[in-house]
Amino acid sequence: MSAAATKFATYLNASRRICQINRVLFSASVTRSLTSSKYLSMAYQIEERGSPNTLEYRMYYKNNGNYISPFHDIPCCATDNPKTYNMVVEVPRWTNSKMEIATKEPLNPIKQDVKKGKLRYVANTYPYKGYIWNYGAIPQTWENPKHVDPDTKQTGDNDPIDVCEIGSRVPKRGDVIQVKILGVLAMIDEGETDWKIIAIDVKDPLADQLNDITDVDTLLPGYLDDTRNWFRVYKRADGKPFNSFAFDGAFKNRSFAERVVEETHKFWNQLMDDQAEGDIDRTNSTRSGKSENISQAECSKIVSANPAAGPAVEITDEKASAWYFLKEEE
Amino acid sequence: MSAAATKFATYLNASRRICQINRVLFSPSVTRSLTSSKYLSMAYQIEERGSPNTLEYRMYYKNNGNYISPFHDIPCCATDNPKTYNMVVEVPRWTNSKMEIATKEPLNPIKQDVKKGKLRYVANTYPYKGYIWNYGAIPQTWENPKHVDPDTKQTGDNDPIDVCEIGSRVPKRGDVIQVKILGVLAMIDEGETDWKIIAIDVKDPLADQLNDITDVDTLLPGYLDDTRNWFRVYKRADGKPFNSFAFDGAFKNRSFAERVVEETHKFWNQLMDDQAEGDIDRTNSTRSGKSENISQAECSKIVSANPASGPAVEITDEKASAWYFLKEEE
Repeated sequence: MSAAATKFATYLNASRRICQINRVLFSASVTRSLTSSKYLSMAYQIEERGSPNTLEYRMYYKNNGNYISPFHDIPCCATDNPKTYNMVVEVPRWTNSKMEIATKEPLNPIKQDVKKGKLRYVANTYPYKGYIWNYGAIPQTWENPKHVDPDTKQTGDNDPIDVCEIGSRVPKRGDVIQVKILGVLAMIDEGETDWKIIAIDVKDPLADQLNDITDVDTLLPGYLDDTRNWFRVYKRADGKPFNSFAFDGAFKNRSFAERVVEETHKFWNQLMDDQAEGDIDRTNSTRSGKSENISQAECSKIVSANPAAGPAVEITDEKASAWYFLKEEE
Repeated sequence: MSAAATKFATYLNASRRICQINRVLFSPSVTRSLTSSKYLSMAYQIEERGSPNTLEYRMYYKNNGNYISPFHDIPCCATDNPKTYNMVVEVPRWTNSKMEIATKEPLNPIKQDVKKGKLRYVANTYPYKGYIWNYGAIPQTWENPKHVDPDTKQTGDNDPIDVCEIGSRVPKRGDVIQVKILGVLAMIDEGETDWKIIAIDVKDPLADQLNDITDVDTLLPGYLDDTRNWFRVYKRADGKPFNSFAFDGAFKNRSFAERVVEETHKFWNQLMDDQAEGDIDRTNSTRSGKSENISQAECSKIVSANPASGPAVEITDEKASAWYFLKEEE
């Protein structure tokens, strides 16, 4: 290598190291503390591995410095009186990357869903840009694929229960927020039960005025109709059929929704105590003495098997930026 | 200063310098060449000054390395047969920052509009997220504030003519693209004539099928109605009235629209030859022998009076991320 090339390589290595140090010292992106915002749970931190918008990207969770599973180790309920729940934000409003709690990986980090080997993006189906609410999951819940729901007549989709948070703020991906449940939509997605809880961040300016599903139409007119339509059409761009709904697409009220969440929480409890094999990874760090409970040393091994955190890669999939118009006959 | 502090300060300075060098060497953000994409004009480069999302941020233009004004030195027309126009993209679809060609600053860089001393963001008026098209201006056009338009009965808004580009791609802010004109909406914004040209990127997959305004309703159903409604409501969140339209809000066709553009191009020519004082800055580098024509040395002085380019600052104005719902009576 020539002298100039050697000098340049030395410069590059030094600059990479300095940028790495800078990320650790100054950037919130490697280990992001969720304590810095007055809106958020005081306890959870994110540790990123790999680079955003790649197949290897993962977001692992910690509580006061200890690794946890956001599926099994974050409580379903935040407060009892009033009744509020925790929500893991997987997809901030208006984004397209289909991020999910990885139910089949140990410690269930958040990762991007993959279809046919490619990173999955949800299309912008006109007039919607990405997801039209903050979207995520309630921890410690599970839609049991062996249980036929009497209302939808379908089995569960094997995932935690989904939540659409309708408040005005857009949190960061991975944030854990506290929500009040307002109602639920009973979607049937490709033949599986897929309840969509409608909720509001307890700290939203409108939270005091939103107490049940009817308040949503009053204060945010059109939003529920668009919500139903979004779920009806969102897979057409991928050539999938329209989705359908139980109850003729009606939104059920708060107490009905809370009963649905309680049932899925019960299914999760059964799952965690079950001897039978399944594909859900039950690794956890807080259920001491129970199955799949592991030490922090074992957690560290799992996390560090992933590539080091890196800067985000640009999203090149045009699906994330183009608008898809439904054909006229639809 | 302690030894540790001195060492840290030295480290910081070195790392800042290295990051600065990295930006020049590796990042496209300081001087961005618009030649790298097959979609774009081959000639224009952007030189950024200041940091994005701050009052000081500017995007200066160059053509083959020479500073130009994107208002006066980029041709209005790209090709004659077929007839296509140049468009400067000020606001990529779905963004909220109100970026504009700075008509009153020398060399007319793109900057963010400021209202009452604060950076201006356009609200997300439900169900719209930011701007719903790629939005910008046709160079070498000007809506003359001394001319009363016979159709709108109002005077011009003192700016280049606005364009809504309805193609599927989202270009980068500042890109110069070539468009085919399809029609125009005659908006009256706070008492001023404010034509909104509807256009399509010549390289869009649908460009061959979009040849006049009626094709837009056929291929992209709902888009024109939403366009009209967007312009009607977009300032309500700021407490301003709804906007109104000439022709009962009808979209006029391609040949009408092209005549409007020709007229505003004529006004621009008159402006550039006019002896009278006005507030438009006519500094240019390509109209040699004419008024306000300056040398590259003088251009460099203007540009380097701005702060050095820096990383983007996070947008904290909640207007950019909240959804504004119109009150029921509206």
